[in-house]
Amino acid sequence: MQATSFAQSLVFLTLAVMTIGLAVFTITRTNPVAAVMSLVGTFVGLAGIYASLSAHFLAIMQMAVYAGAIMVLFIFVVMILNRDDVAPISWRGIASRSIGVVATAWAFAFVTLIVVRAVSPAGAPGKVAGSPEIAKLLGLPPEIDASFGSVKSIGHGLFTEYVFPFEAISVLLLVAIVGGLVVSRSAKQEQHAESVAERDKAMREQIRPSSILGETADEADAAHSHAGGHH
Amino acid sequence: MPPTLTPGDTTKMPTTYYLLLSFALFVVGTAGVLLRRNALIVLMGIELQLNAGNLAFVAFSRAIGNDSGQVFTFFIIALAAAEAAVGLAILVGLYRQQQTVNLDEARLMRG
Repeated sequence: MQATSFAQSLVFLTLAVMTIGLAVFTITRTNPVAAVMSLVGTFVGLAGIYASLSAHFLAIMQMAVYAGAIMVLFIFVVMILNRDDVAPISWRGIASRSIGVVATAWAFAFVTLIVVRAVSPAGAPGKVAGSPEIAKLLGLPPEIDASFGSVKSIGHGLFTEYVFPFEAISVLLLVAIVGGLVVSRSAKQEQHAESVAERDKAMREQIRPSSILGETADEADAAHSHAGGHH
Repeated sequence: MPPTLTPGDTTKMPTTYYLLLSFALFVVGTAGVLLRRNALIVLMGIELQLNAGNLAFVAFSRAIGNDSGQVFTFFIIALAAAEAAVGLAILVGLYRQQQTVNLDEARLMRG
């Protein structure tokens, strides 16, 4: 296994400092546009880190979906609201909020440690991973095939083993589209939609009595049997 | 036998570094969610938290040499898109009704 080279360390450090620095910049800005722009920078740095982890497809997805689509959505909302008079930080209950940040950080670290223990290759079945296995997992990553993280490999996973979650995500996106439209419409649009629905309902009620197929068929049947009885 | 990458093509940084970066990103995102009161910035903090989780997924996926973790990251990206769409729609609805995006002023449910 090859050791970390200077160039690799330099790339990682640059991307890591860019990611964290711009993330801190994001949550400290009072101007929402500056916050959105630094968030875009954070995502670009993360895309670089994904690429350095051999996740090339994900790096492209990160750029297209996050830096492209989601951030454009944020910019649109900033334009619609166009307000920057919100207090940057709230001092109401700042102590409990800070404790919340520390507690959440602790929980994240705790879960990460559990995952590290769980995915470390244990020697025998049922054996808890010891420190050598954990050190191996946390050390330099193993050699991988050239197909690792390629579109072909990810796509194969998506359409075989994970096809159900894939379809579930498409339903989720549909629900999100409808939900977004319903939640964000104005009171006027809501009234209009309701009046159209009422009108449709009234029209259906009016049409119903004479033209339901089942009823006319029953009447025809009854007339036929009546005629047969006469013979 | 499938072709292997020549040494040096991929990063040979220890996984610990990526996990530490993920942790730092998560803490920054949490601080944004809990300390800021502008609903837009809070949503951005949630995005940062999701990305920290994604980074941990990708780092573990690389560490054990199995790219299922990247499929999950793909799902989380789609989920984040849905979350941003609905979250921003709620934000626009909140602004329509209350003329504010300050979470301390939005107290319709006495929160």
